[in-house]
Amino acid sequence: MSIQTNKKFLVSEVMVPVENCAAIPENTILKEAFEQMGLFKLGISCIINFDGELMGIITDGDIRRKLLTSQKPLSALFVDDALMHSIRSPIVVNPSDLLFDAVTLMDKVKVWDVPVVDSHNKLLGILHSHHAVSILLGIKNA
Amino acid sequence: MKKIIIEVGYGSVSKVKIGSNLPLAFIGGPCAIESHEHAFKMADLIGNVCNKLNVPWIYKSCYDKDCRSSPESFHGMGVEDGLRILSDIRNEFGLPVVSDFSDASWAKATGEVCDMVQIPAYLCRQTSILRAAAETNRPIHLKKGQFMSPWNMKNSIRKLEDFGSDQVLLADRGTFMGYNQLVNDMTCFPIMSQTGYPVCFDATHSIQLPTSMGNISGGQREFIPYLVRAASACGINALFMEVHDNPKKALSDANTVLDIKYLENILSQAKIVHEMRLELIDKFGEDNVHPNE
Repeated sequence: MSIQTNKKFLVSEVMVPVENCAAIPENTILKEAFEQMGLFKLGISCIINFDGELMGIITDGDIRRKLLTSQKPLSALFVDDALMHSIRSPIVVNPSDLLFDAVTLMDKVKVWDVPVVDSHNKLLGILHSHHAVSILLGIKNA
Repeated sequence: MKKIIIEVGYGSVSKVKIGSNLPLAFIGGPCAIESHEHAFKMADLIGNVCNKLNVPWIYKSCYDKDCRSSPESFHGMGVEDGLRILSDIRNEFGLPVVSDFSDASWAKATGEVCDMVQIPAYLCRQTSILRAAAETNRPIHLKKGQFMSPWNMKNSIRKLEDFGSDQVLLADRGTFMGYNQLVNDMTCFPIMSQTGYPVCFDATHSIQLPTSMGNISGGQREFIPYLVRAASACGINALFMEVHDNPKKALSDANTVLDIKYLENILSQAKIVHEMRLELIDKFGEDNVHPNE
């Protein structure tokens, strides 16, 4: 079966804009980070500083792994700073990147969501796999 | 991790810095202000010991003991008279002073006199009390409630920070183990230190047996040196002890206050252990075993 892919789209046309993402301040505790992930229905929270620059991310998978390894009481884990348990140097893409290349990268590093940042590392949004694949396959329009 | 140093003392009194790897500070005095004469006598006696040992210290005494078990117990001298005595001590001895307050409406007056304001353990999560403390713009001595986990003190810290305070000292005074008994979990010091704020060990309340005597609290003072050595070795920035020249006649916490005749002994040991811990940090570095687990 042959599937047509649309290679002309840019990341900026498909990304979830930052106002619709869980972008949380650096003093957010882990429980609040989880709540934000639920609120925006994305499996990722992005931790940003006062200037909106990306400091780290925490994902569904990180939480799953943390629950299996942490020996703390859950009540103690909940009040840890989310930043403390985050990935501090995540894979990121730029808004001007080709969507096809971004999805290829996501497949390579096995992630469902990737932060979109500008040249100053300021968070602009999230590229989510479902949206990206739907656009690439022509199921949805950008 | 950030390490916040707080400075206690305004105006012409000596300044006491608490935090990081600074010398151990002492906070002490009679539990309640009993009289002008007694307060001065205790400031003199404790000052002699601290000066001899070269330990920076803050005079502590309270004007209102609102958490007494019995309505018959001494309640205190009251806000006005008590604060006047504390003010006189500041002026006479050049010392910073601290008192707690149990009612938000007393905070302003307390902060106008005291160099540090203290939040009682039972009230450590009361928003109105925390707000009132922050609004004094003085450093805040926040005691962990006996019912609180050390990590949940972060919620009280966040409230204080929201209200504009960034000068906090977090203290452990024991945790309830069932009824009428307290235990000290030494891991509370590194856990509370993760907030970045300095931590304090309240030794004389930790050996308290809350309301064990029916309508007043008992205490096992014989354990004070053991717990002080343990806490100092674990890692604290300040030591808190209530001290009295005649514990049997003390008007508040008679079963827990330390007799002044033992202060030099205990404080010397705390200072030595604290200095040894700092030497260990120099030699082996800060504790960093299995971080973030």
